[in-house]
Amino acid sequence: MTLELDNLSKRYADTPVFSHVSLRVAPGEFVAIVGQSGVGKSTLLNCMAGLDSWDTGRVRLGGVDLGTLSDDQRALLRRQHVGFVFQAFHVLPHLDVAQNVALPLLLLGQHNDERDERDNRDNRVRAMLDAVGLTGLGARLPQQLSGGQLQRVAIARALVHRPRLLLADEPTGNLDPTTAGVVMDALIAQTREHGASLVLVTHSEAAAARADRVLHLSSDGITG
Amino acid sequence: MVTSLRLVLRLLRQFSWRELTHHPWRNAAAVVAVMLGVALAFSTHLINASALSEFSQAVRAVNGQPDLELRAVQGTFDETVYARVATHPGVALASPVLEVGTYAVSNGQRVPLKVVGIDALSVAGIAPTLMPVAEASSGDDNRFALFAPNTVFLNAAARQALSGSTLQLQSGLTLQTVAVAGRVSTPGAALAVMDIGAAQDLFGKGGQLSRIDVKLQPGTNAQGLAAKLELPANITLTAPGDDAQRVSNLSRAYRVNLTVLALVALFTGAFLVFSVLSLSVAKRAQQLALLAVLGLTGRERLGLVLAESLLLGLAGSTLGVALGTGLAALALRLLGGDLGGGYFAGVAPALQFDGAAALLYGALGVAAAGVGGWWPARAAQQLPPAQTLKGLGAAQAGRRSHLLSIVLIAAGAIAALAPPVFGIPLAAYVSVAMLLVGGITALPWGVSVLYDRIAPFVSNRLLPLLAVERARRVRESAAVAVSGVVASLSLAVALTVMVASFRDSVTQWLDVVLPADLYVRTALGTSAADTAYFPAAFVTSLAALPGVDRVTSVRTTQVLLDANQPAIALIARPLDDPAKTLPLVGNPLPVPPGQIGIYVSEAMVDLYAARPGTVFEPLSRAFGALARAKLAGTATEIIASQPAAMFFVAGVWRDYARQFGSIAIAQRDFERLSGDRRVNDLAVFLQSSAIEADVQNAIRALAEQQSGAAGLVELASVRQIRATSLNIFDRSFAVTYWLQGVAIAIGLFGVAASFSAQVLARRKEFGLLAHLGLTRRQILTVVAGEGAAWTVIGAIAGVALGLAVSVVLVHVVNPQSFHWTMDLRVPWARLAALCGAVVLAGTATAWLAGRAAAGRDAVLAVKEDW
Repeated sequence: MTLELDNLSKRYADTPVFSHVSLRVAPGEFVAIVGQSGVGKSTLLNCMAGLDSWDTGRVRLGGVDLGTLSDDQRALLRRQHVGFVFQAFHVLPHLDVAQNVALPLLLLGQHNDERDERDNRDNRVRAMLDAVGLTGLGARLPQQLSGGQLQRVAIARALVHRPRLLLADEPTGNLDPTTAGVVMDALIAQTREHGASLVLVTHSEAAAARADRVLHLSSDGITG
Repeated sequence: MVTSLRLVLRLLRQFSWRELTHHPWRNAAAVVAVMLGVALAFSTHLINASALSEFSQAVRAVNGQPDLELRAVQGTFDETVYARVATHPGVALASPVLEVGTYAVSNGQRVPLKVVGIDALSVAGIAPTLMPVAEASSGDDNRFALFAPNTVFLNAAARQALSGSTLQLQSGLTLQTVAVAGRVSTPGAALAVMDIGAAQDLFGKGGQLSRIDVKLQPGTNAQGLAAKLELPANITLTAPGDDAQRVSNLSRAYRVNLTVLALVALFTGAFLVFSVLSLSVAKRAQQLALLAVLGLTGRERLGLVLAESLLLGLAGSTLGVALGTGLAALALRLLGGDLGGGYFAGVAPALQFDGAAALLYGALGVAAAGVGGWWPARAAQQLPPAQTLKGLGAAQAGRRSHLLSIVLIAAGAIAALAPPVFGIPLAAYVSVAMLLVGGITALPWGVSVLYDRIAPFVSNRLLPLLAVERARRVRESAAVAVSGVVASLSLAVALTVMVASFRDSVTQWLDVVLPADLYVRTALGTSAADTAYFPAAFVTSLAALPGVDRVTSVRTTQVLLDANQPAIALIARPLDDPAKTLPLVGNPLPVPPGQIGIYVSEAMVDLYAARPGTVFEPLSRAFGALARAKLAGTATEIIASQPAAMFFVAGVWRDYARQFGSIAIAQRDFERLSGDRRVNDLAVFLQSSAIEADVQNAIRALAEQQSGAAGLVELASVRQIRATSLNIFDRSFAVTYWLQGVAIAIGLFGVAASFSAQVLARRKEFGLLAHLGLTRRQILTVVAGEGAAWTVIGAIAGVALGLAVSVVLVHVVNPQSFHWTMDLRVPWARLAALCGAVVLAGTATAWLAGRAAAGRDAVLAVKEDW
């Protein structure tokens, strides 16, 4: 699924956040966006997902102009085609690990109790947990996991429904270098395996270095 | 310690004050709730205390200040005793009194009036307020009016109710005209004083006295004197002030019940403080965590939040005491001193402010707020600073033992079995409190039991899964959120069941006690039953009226069985088939040969131990005295040969009309023993073809023809009496519906506050769900689903607890307070509607609370970490 940003600009009141940002992320491509704090990297990521509004320009995902969609239509598009990984993990504290990972599948499910579907879902969750190195931890609650493990839960959740685009915002920002390396390995490997595009916002040079392309966001626009 | 206190005070100024001013309305709601609770409870206390004080003063004024009183057990006694008492060397002064309850007619109005016949020469030394004062305008001729026949002196209340220089007093079914010659300064209800001889003549009580007030010579022992006087059995010795004490004792349970009802408002006020502070702590969790990181200890955090709750309580209590004083003054002015119990009817007291009580009720308000603030304060103390700063909140508490809940509930059940303390169902109130607290503390366990079983069934449906899993995993929070609903719903259910049970029992009772088509009476209360009555000729004539099938008559008289208790009502009526004509509790017992069967009200069992299957001796003594009085003048050996009647308690019946006790006896037995053939009430059974209105007119015409006083006859159809009785019932209990409404509103406020707090704390969670593709509507559905999941468990627990509390109210509090029982009746349909409404309201409340958070840009919620 191709992501296209065309001359995108955003401002908060009189203060510009970013201006004239244009980029294209091809299917399966891994793009890293770097830049100083406050230049609007996270806001740009939100715009890519249709979670934030922009003042001028266009965002197209798989050829669909997000600007023409309602909030609910954007939510449905996100549900099917987009995965997220956050710096602060954001797992639901009252669901266990497997339930957290299964959330997107439940969202996409047809709400029936057919055994096959449930088995299929359980298998996919188990496979994702195995893939990110969390074998056997599905029944644990988030409070019982470390930061690195939580981030791998978030990666598993982001990819379990096989999205076409993965948006990751400083996924290693809260982790030590060793754990960050493990998490990045899992993220990149799983993204590649699923054939998804990956847009990574990061301050980490090591993480950015693993991208196919690195873009620099500044107040003047995006270069790379 | 001092340093911590200073620190807390400084934080109150700098930290808490901002929160207070930032949410003035929310905090004002908590202050208002405490204020209302304190005001209701304090005003109830002030009204009751003022009425009791006024009543005591009135009783003291009428009775004077004798050292002892000699009173008739029933009605009156022979005045020959007076000479013996007055001339005894141990007696300094004896004042004879004849008290008659009757009605005065003035300008067509019929007003209850107590007539006190006194001896003007002796009364001043004992009861100076009864001393008549002739009107100055009456001239010299009236100086001797206080000895004149048919001349009365009125107190202020009587003068206000009755105008004119003459008035008519009822005696039997006739009216006697008397002149108003002056006044007396006796306070209290309407009262007329006249010369004792004139009163005896006017009411046909020649040679009879109600009591003799006695002043003793110094050094004379009252009991010893009574023994030396060899008083007849129909005279009992009472200490002065017993009247006031009796009313105080009898009304105590009623007054305590009113106060407890008022304190329910305070209880809900405590919940409001709890809700407001829970929300406040949840909102300030990160600030408190930051303070903790900076060095504020857990104990200091607890102290800070507790101090906030106490300040809210102090403000509420101060306002509550002021409002309560105002409410009491207003109520005394508009309603008099009677709050519906009938104990202080006719008393118009002035407000008597009680500083100690003000402090007590104020302290109760502060304590209630402190209790409400305790849990949020503990939450502030226990919050994990690091996790809270990260927005992760407190970790889920582990499985807590529910042993405490079981112990509390078991102790509550045992306490319900305890007897009353000084006539007050204190243990029952403790039982209710324990059941409520035990039930509420068992909520997390209840949540776990229910939703652990439901969870597998919703594992494939995202929205129910999110709602149920959250309820399961954060069951402590769920329990806290719905505790207000549980408390308020349980109170509402308990009151609903109690009122429904009472109404149902009263309806059944009316069906039994009102078998006739039409009822005729002339005395409106038992106190006037000896003066206002139907003569036998009137009854005979009435039975012969066209349209009348048959007439049964009832004679009601008062009997003083125990000097420490009020007089009971002795009801003489046809009792051929007691099982059908009396609302018996259980089956009637066969009466042993040679004994007289009586049927006692439930109050008699509690107050006089008149148990079924036993001989009731106090009535034997009273009737023995009556029989001997009847034979006065007969040879001593004949009197001595009269066997004492033995009264066998053959059954117990419900009497919702008389709390002090009543005894039903067969009319023929009563007339044979007492010779009294007067009649107070007539039950008229109509022929099927009769037109009720025609019969009523015929009865009035008969009264006019026989006594010239048709206005003295009160007629009511059975439908009117039933409708009026049930209307009065519904009006009396209307306040409980308001109370239920307020309690449930406060419970829902608690849900709203709790959900607002939860939703605010979970903004990131909702942000994540938005990122995952949940629409706003779906997020709101999750929140509403949680509201439903939580309030469903709250409703189940509330109904279960409410039913338990209602059993205590119906089977313990009511019998112990008012000495009557009722059948438990559960209005399931109404309870289901109540629960449904609460669940709907709780769900809607949660949905509204969720709108605020879900309405924000979901991105903002997670952006803080980006």
